[in-house]
Amino acid sequence: MRTPDLIRFAHGAATGNPLRTALLVLAMAIGVAAVVVLTALGDGARRYVMNEFSSLGSNLVIVLPGRSQTGGFSPGNAITNTPRDLTVDDAQALQRASAVRLVAPLAVGTSEISYGGKLREVMVAGTTSQFLEVRRMTLAQGRFLPDADWRRGAAEAVIGAKVREEMFGNTPALGQLVRIGDRRFRIVGVLASSGQGLGMNTDELVIVPVALAQAMFNSNTLFRILIEATSRDAIEPAKAQVAAIIKERHEGEEDVTVITQDAVLATFDRLLGTLTLGVAGIAAISLAVAGILVMNVMLVSVTQRTAEIGLLKALGATGDTIRLAFLTEATMLSLAGAVLGFVLGHAGAAIIRQLFPAFPAFPPDWAVLAGLLTALVTGILFGVLPARQAARLDPVQALSRR
Amino acid sequence: MRLHDTTLLALRAITAHRLRSFLTLLGIAVGIAAVILLTSIGEGIHRFVLAEFTQFGTNVVSISPGKTKTSGPAPTGIPSSVRPLTLEDARALQRLPHVTGMTATVWGNTEVNANGRLRRTTVHGVSADTLKVYNIKVRSGQFLPAEDSENARAFAVLGAKLKSELFGSANPLGARVRIGNLQFRVIGVLEAKGQFLGIDLDDAAYIPTARALELYNRDGIMKIDVSYEEGVPAARVADAIKALLATRHGREDFTITTQEDMLRTLSNILDILTMAVGALGGSSLLVGAVGIVTIMTIAVAERTGEIGLLVALGAPRRTILGLFLGEAVALSAVGGVMGLALGIGLAQLIHLAVPALPVHTPITFVILAEGIAIGIGLLAGVLPARRAAQLDPVEALRTE
Repeated sequence: MRTPDLIRFAHGAATGNPLRTALLVLAMAIGVAAVVVLTALGDGARRYVMNEFSSLGSNLVIVLPGRSQTGGFSPGNAITNTPRDLTVDDAQALQRASAVRLVAPLAVGTSEISYGGKLREVMVAGTTSQFLEVRRMTLAQGRFLPDADWRRGAAEAVIGAKVREEMFGNTPALGQLVRIGDRRFRIVGVLASSGQGLGMNTDELVIVPVALAQAMFNSNTLFRILIEATSRDAIEPAKAQVAAIIKERHEGEEDVTVITQDAVLATFDRLLGTLTLGVAGIAAISLAVAGILVMNVMLVSVTQRTAEIGLLKALGATGDTIRLAFLTEATMLSLAGAVLGFVLGHAGAAIIRQLFPAFPAFPPDWAVLAGLLTALVTGILFGVLPARQAARLDPVQALSRR
Repeated sequence: MRLHDTTLLALRAITAHRLRSFLTLLGIAVGIAAVILLTSIGEGIHRFVLAEFTQFGTNVVSISPGKTKTSGPAPTGIPSSVRPLTLEDARALQRLPHVTGMTATVWGNTEVNANGRLRRTTVHGVSADTLKVYNIKVRSGQFLPAEDSENARAFAVLGAKLKSELFGSANPLGARVRIGNLQFRVIGVLEAKGQFLGIDLDDAAYIPTARALELYNRDGIMKIDVSYEEGVPAARVADAIKALLATRHGREDFTITTQEDMLRTLSNILDILTMAVGALGGSSLLVGAVGIVTIMTIAVAERTGEIGLLVALGAPRRTILGLFLGEAVALSAVGGVMGLALGIGLAQLIHLAVPALPVHTPITFVILAEGIAIGIGLLAGVLPARRAAQLDPVEALRTE
């Protein structure tokens, strides 16, 4: 049979039974749409996490007090104590390293901020001037902490957007005196509003000089030291130099862990990528079920069109031709379903993007392609059996039945 | 029509086209199997995590310095500018009614030097009651003695892994260890406890809280855990603690968390996760439902003559409706049972292959899944059944 005839034949068979065709196409479409939407969600989660991390600053190297026996990061050491303090002087010494561009010591704790009778619990971060650049934060008003002696600090504070809103409302915040813990600070800057970030949400943060924070929390040790390497290639050398400098200052004791943001990022990337793959696999099961449905319906239609097939054979059509005709019908149905599912899936992902603008729910190309291909292959695969059955019909028997 | 006859007719219609019926069943079965498998894994993980948490005892209340922020409590261990929790505070808590044990905890990371070997590990400063509060047992020797906390003697108890790393199979009792820059004497070794959320509990040393404060140069306790009698409501104990500490500190500058609260939040999160995962499998169920609609529609079209005859013989429309609905429900119910068997079987198989992955299929899930299958059959069969019931008998008998 010529190809256009094949297609017309298949088309005629499909439109001859519109409800059945519609249901088949719907089944395929649901399968493909499920794959597209779910992978969009999974990949969206991955991209969201990566974005949040990269907004923290690039070429980032972080020093944490405490070290596990095997090296590397251990969750038990996320917040811990060490006999030897990780001091501000240690952080200052790191500035000498050739691969290091910026250094920002960090001491954190919880405290209360009070102004005009209002009281609020806040997270207080003690740091120095370079913190703003290392963490890629932006100011909405005023200025950041000045570049001064790290061992001292003027009683100045920079507050996050939410803190400003709750404590000051419509009145200007800059220049006001607030009470943090037991000391008074003057507001010199307000941070720009950030979205919901991982880890520290900067909107509820209050930043003061590190020396004053340490006095406030009565602790001489730092929580972290944030370091920006001079370039991407300098990250590994920076890691080594930093570890060496601190080891020397700590009399040969290696009591810090140095991690690169890249390593953390790579772990998350891998984790979420695997998750997306798993989710896609589960969605693909629905494609298999759709395939079973296609086979079922095609088998039924073969029994119903026995007379037609008998006639075709009597007119000279070979078994191959019959098989091809039915396979073409199955392929067309799957294709139509796949395309519809593609459109539905993208529409679904678009709706998610509308509802959650912060979430980049874009179905990845590989997933869409895989979904479409699987749908097609499923349709063809599950169309083979019915096609073979049709081709095997005896024309005399087929025509004799009414 | 008698129920017996309806059932017979439905079953006969199904077995008349065995392949067709089987394939329709298969559609629902795969869908149900996928949902049961995924939720079984989810539920298994849920139970596992809960068991991990409750291994420390459920009658525990935690107190940490600093008040709860509006956005939730700060992670344990971060310092606070308010009055620190002291050993005296901890001792006062011990005397509250219904309290069975109290431990004031300070932890840190440091080098432990013993038997000529060096190991970097976590050191916990704890109180003598720790065994009671955390359900830990001593394997050899004894735990820290109950004595005046400020002048606690420099004793240390080793976790199982730390002991084997430092001493191998030798007996460590009585040996001297150097932790940081302080000397301690080993008086006990704990039983192996395993991992807890990635933290190795056996790779640790336990010393008196006062000594830990000295070691890490702190004057504030990081966390106080209090265990109370069974049957006493957690809220009552929490209120008593709040009243006592508020009086001592002048105001409420601490956070109290009951184990119940923590478990409840955790349970909720895990439940949501399991349901989400189950919903994932739901897309296959949806396709299975479409399958039933399709096949039933075809069946109605094929059996117009039969339907017309039934109506001509006097069968009310309701009977026809019931007949086809019954067929649809029978198909989905049997498919549901198949799917349950398949899903549970696969879950157990996976658990055998990967023992680390816990699976559990509660009876409620099984009943729910079968219920959903029957529901799908009902919903999917409604349209075709209504179509059948509305056939004009004269027209129906005329078609051949």
